[in-house]
Amino acid sequence: MHTGSEPEPERERIAEDEVEAELARFGRAVEAVVGKLAQTGERLRAVGSETEAGIFDAHVELAEDPELASGVEERVRNLQSPEAAVLAVGEEYAAELAAVEEEYLAARADDVRDVAGQVAAELTGRGPAALEALETPSVVVARSLAPSDTARIPKGMALGFVTAEGSRTSHVSIMARSMGIPAVVGVGPALEGALNATTVAVNGTEGYAVTDPDEATVAEFERMSRTLAEARATLDEYRHVEARTRDGRRIEVAANLGSASEAEDALQWGAEGVGLFRTEFLFMEREELPSEEEQYEAYGAVARAFGEKPVIVRTLDVGGDKDLPGVDQPPEENPFLGWRGIRMSLDTPGLFEPQLRAILRAAVHGNLKVMFPMVVEVGELRAAKELLEGCRARLEGEGTEVGPVEVGVMIETPAAAICAAELAKESAFFSIGTNDLVQYTLAADRGNERLRRLQSAGHPAVLKLIRQTCEAAHEAGIPTGMCGEAAGDPELIPQFIALGVTELSMGAPAIPRAKKVVSET
Amino acid sequence: MVESQATVGPQEGLHARPAAQFVKTAKRFSSEIVVLKGERQANAKSSLKIMTLGARKGDTLTIRAEGDDAQEAVDALVELISPDEH
Repeated sequence: MHTGSEPEPERERIAEDEVEAELARFGRAVEAVVGKLAQTGERLRAVGSETEAGIFDAHVELAEDPELASGVEERVRNLQSPEAAVLAVGEEYAAELAAVEEEYLAARADDVRDVAGQVAAELTGRGPAALEALETPSVVVARSLAPSDTARIPKGMALGFVTAEGSRTSHVSIMARSMGIPAVVGVGPALEGALNATTVAVNGTEGYAVTDPDEATVAEFERMSRTLAEARATLDEYRHVEARTRDGRRIEVAANLGSASEAEDALQWGAEGVGLFRTEFLFMEREELPSEEEQYEAYGAVARAFGEKPVIVRTLDVGGDKDLPGVDQPPEENPFLGWRGIRMSLDTPGLFEPQLRAILRAAVHGNLKVMFPMVVEVGELRAAKELLEGCRARLEGEGTEVGPVEVGVMIETPAAAICAAELAKESAFFSIGTNDLVQYTLAADRGNERLRRLQSAGHPAVLKLIRQTCEAAHEAGIPTGMCGEAAGDPELIPQFIALGVTELSMGAPAIPRAKKVVSET
Repeated sequence: MVESQATVGPQEGLHARPAAQFVKTAKRFSSEIVVLKGERQANAKSSLKIMTLGARKGDTLTIRAEGDDAQEAVDALVELISPDEH
């Protein structure tokens, strides 16, 4: 175990006749830090780690920041030592950034502290932590870890990270993911226990750490680690293959996205498109509904990220169990059988039309398709399409550029599966949402633990509905995708393919395994 | 002195990557450039200042420049932060 430490200046004050010399020393320290940062950035870029290299570009920018320099100069002229001054000025900006109510920007506070710490360390001639001197492979435990800290660790010496601060989007997480090192971040006060331990076992998959584990736990962790390493090595080969069954049928393997920010990650897992882009994230936990513009940006960002690869945007599907700002939702006894999905959308054009307009406009930037949830009859599909075409006509009338958008139906109710033939005539594609299809077909609440036995898409009734859906689609010459959890289930994938499913969409980390299963089917 | 207003277009506002791009562009010009959001003012060549300005999508900013290439600087920065025309 290794404990990172924070730089602390030894000398707070300087004498009046030292001011000019200290300012010059500060200038040289900044130059030295910039040089090191730029070098690290180039090294990362040379090995193709563009995202990580970008972090160091941003740090160069911060180290050279004119306002940082002028803040330090002012303090040095007031006889503060430059090392104390740069830490103080850095902390001022960091505190200001941390107060911003925006996760990504708040996380940049750590970058500012990191850079200021490096300049201070350069000035005092000490490294902020002895990480580069790490000689035995260790778990690194620290309050926080900056990119420059993680980059300084000799290759192979970090076995895992445990930090009190940080989140999924902080750099330590990004770096750990790209280095393939397990990390548990944001443990808060629990860090205390890890700091006092001699051995720490880290499970990055499930996000927990065990301090001073007993023999049995150590053995269990070692076993998990081996299994994971073997599985990963085999699966990695499948990430970017075009999956085909042994008899040559091409099966597209795509990702389900819950927000626009997950796009890049999904591509790295080998997603060949997005089979389900949930749009709820734009609408939840906020004071007012998202504007058409905000939706346009979010859909456009994913469209751009995927380029020619298809991205299926599912229109809003929120039930009475979740609050929507500005929409009058009476409480319901059975929200899953309630006013949700296309039912709510058709009743509230003020909510639906901005979403449709945003999708049409964003389609210019890529290959967007739209999919309607909870459809139980062809009339709903027609009404939704009519609204979509109305939006298209108005946008064109306004002189706004719109893209072509194929329209599909989510098959997630028994009614939709049973009426698949009628729906197929007016759809460009189907996507089977297994989670709801299972719950509605088997009358089994998907959240009820006692009904686990009835929560499988492998139930004969569900499989029959899937078969019927695929046959109707085949008849009409349209593809059938699948986007429920079952789509990534290695045991069910061969059955789904046999029934006629042509695209599987799942949580991105499941993609390599699904491609492997397809290739062996 | 040259001054112009612009509405912030990029999805993330003037944060992180857009901020870096903005600062990089500003540094190409020799003029002194400031960004005003309401009563707050930021040095356009400082990513610390630009990030802490907290400009979000839809905010209206004023860009003011003074110097030899003031007009070019303001034009370039306004174009950078305005929403896509297409």
